[in-house]
Amino acid sequence: MGTGTGTGTGASTGARASQDAGRRPARARRRTRAPATPSSTVARPGVGWALPATLFFGLFALVPLVLVAVLSFASWDGLGAPQFAGTDNWAKLLDDPVMIRSLWLSLLLTVLGVVTQTPLAILLGVWAAGPQRNRAVLSAVFFVPLLLSATAISVLWRALLDPNFGVPAQARWLFGDGNLLGSRDGAIAVLVLVAAWQFTPLHALIYQGAARAVPEVLYQAASIDGAGTVRQFFHITLPQLRNSIITSVILMVVGGLTTFDTVLILTQGGPGTDTTITAFYMYQKAFKGFEFGIGSAIALLLVVVATLISLVVVRMSGYDRMAGTKEGM
Amino acid sequence: MATLTHRARFSRTTTATLVLALGLGLAACGGGSGSSGGAKEFHVLVYGDAANKVEKRIVATFNKTSDVKAVLDTVPGADYQQKLQTVINTPQAPDVFFNWGGGSIQPFVKADLLLPLDGMVAEEPKLASSFLPSVFDTAKVDGKAYGVPMRGTQPVLLFNNAKVLADAGTQPPGTWAELLDSVKKLKAKGVTPIALGGGDQWPTLMWFEYLYDRVAGPELFKKALAGDKEAWASEDSRKALSMLRELVDAGAFGTNYDSVKFTDGGSPALLATGKAGFELMGSWAFSTQQETSPEFAKNGLGYTAFPTIEGGKGDPANLVGNTNNFYSVLKKTKHADAIADFLKLMYSDEFVKEQLAIGNLPTTTNTAKFLDSADNSAYLKYQFDLVDKAPAFQLSWDQAYLQTNATPMHQAIQQFFNGRLDADGFIKAMQALSTE
Repeated sequence: MGTGTGTGTGASTGARASQDAGRRPARARRRTRAPATPSSTVARPGVGWALPATLFFGLFALVPLVLVAVLSFASWDGLGAPQFAGTDNWAKLLDDPVMIRSLWLSLLLTVLGVVTQTPLAILLGVWAAGPQRNRAVLSAVFFVPLLLSATAISVLWRALLDPNFGVPAQARWLFGDGNLLGSRDGAIAVLVLVAAWQFTPLHALIYQGAARAVPEVLYQAASIDGAGTVRQFFHITLPQLRNSIITSVILMVVGGLTTFDTVLILTQGGPGTDTTITAFYMYQKAFKGFEFGIGSAIALLLVVVATLISLVVVRMSGYDRMAGTKEGM
Repeated sequence: MATLTHRARFSRTTTATLVLALGLGLAACGGGSGSSGGAKEFHVLVYGDAANKVEKRIVATFNKTSDVKAVLDTVPGADYQQKLQTVINTPQAPDVFFNWGGGSIQPFVKADLLLPLDGMVAEEPKLASSFLPSVFDTAKVDGKAYGVPMRGTQPVLLFNNAKVLADAGTQPPGTWAELLDSVKKLKAKGVTPIALGGGDQWPTLMWFEYLYDRVAGPELFKKALAGDKEAWASEDSRKALSMLRELVDAGAFGTNYDSVKFTDGGSPALLATGKAGFELMGSWAFSTQQETSPEFAKNGLGYTAFPTIEGGKGDPANLVGNTNNFYSVLKKTKHADAIADFLKLMYSDEFVKEQLAIGNLPTTTNTAKFLDSADNSAYLKYQFDLVDKAPAFQLSWDQAYLQTNATPMHQAIQQFFNGRLDADGFIKAMQALSTE
């Protein structure tokens, strides 16, 4: 960065430490850590410590991923042995309008999620970072949705939005006939709204932590220069939150692309296929239609797309360079 | 420092041991727990819900006199089909299992896993003749019987709110024209003529099932199911679709039906609170109303058969719905004889009485004699009479077809209703369903 914008988020602190460590001569590091022994590994945990996690990850993430990849080239209904089907599943998927649309829908929901939740979360988080006592109580209240399960949230919103007995029935002037979940635009709007209600607190929490770490002196200097609250927010707070924004957006992208439970309960992919997002389509094919081959192909496609998007976000934001931003502080 | 080194090494050994233990543990999970071994018992896998208490009692009755014991395994409803599909071709497979007949067992028959019951029936003809034929036939695949009915029948009926109909100056319709007339009158009164839980999709499907049956007769769907894709493009098919279109366009279901569900109580509440005049629903709607709106169920809930359609080829006495649930037997079972004895209990007096007590209507020929003494006997008798006299009882389309088709079928149904698909689009979608 080198532009004088500093930051103090947890993530970038870690990044900075590792970068500093990289810059420092190896010998110096050894001297500070283990001055008396010839073996530099003594004070560090052995490789064995990583073994359980590695094994766990391999067993429950890598092995299934490989199996899914293999299965995506087979036809299997869960009975008997999978039959090798060549590229049939993939050809079918590329030819399937629902599949292509489901990817667009997933992306749309993800983008809408980022666009709605980020501003809300930043405002809420920065506000909650303030010192007054009532804020602590209020922010605790704001974080309640975070504690509820997605299932409970979906059932709750379904009841609230019932067109004949819920809120729409009381506010016809706003909701018309209340056909929210039965129309494409309405259903998408509801999914975005529910996601915002559910996840804004989590991201606000990230921003609260980041905002608290902004050095007070910056604001003091700005005040002396005559900057008001709004200017301070845009010229100090927001730039200082940069890395947190990236962290939060990556979380939203990954979460958004794999959204499932709210769709399952609120819309079941409907009306028609209007909210059939990729993750839900995978479930429909594999676990409702017993076409595990096609389901696996969809799952693999989702993994690839999500990985690509995460990489793009990381690249575009400069997060991969782990640029230190503390200079000038 | 020495202690540190030691600790590091120790930890490595510990980890290794731990990993080994973990591996062994997992292996144990995977391998063990085999149940249907050589012991003198057979396993019965059923859908886990309130009706299990009857199944438990029947198993207990059977075990009192049999050397080979039956063991009942229940799987929570929502997971039942997934669980069944994953175990049925493994050593953990049950000997007898619950199903819906039709397409729900067809893949298992194809995979040569099921025992045709014709041998048992030849030895004990009552195993077939004790059940209503329209129901027993649902579990036939390629002309062979693969299931014995084991719970209650669920025909689809046209329920109504008697008070709402009276207020609008109309009555339960006997014909399609009368239904359209009722719709007009109810609409004029400002109520939704027909409650529909379109959000669940399957309630919408019931309208298609009846329209096709009344207009074209049950043969059209039978042909389509057998692979004749042209059936969907036939004139009768188009006529049924145009009548449905007319009904929807007349505002019979209001405009927000796709936001309403039956499963969360949305559409039953519309009927019970007088915001709607009718609801087309499986016979279970009666007990649903009894639970949520007992006062309405007692005094205001009416029910009739689906209206006649003038000039239609289908018999007005035909029914659609879930004919019943069935017990099917796996070919590899070692206790076929004991299972034959077990299945005989499905038409015993005890079975019928127990099912009636929990509100299920068994489909055995001896059911009739217990109806008078049952709770809600008027409703049960009405239903039994319909099922008994029905020349044809069409299993719900989404159960008759293979599971693979349920989702695309539901989507086409929903989209035709809300206007996103026209008749050609719907026909194309139905022709795309797989039939083998």
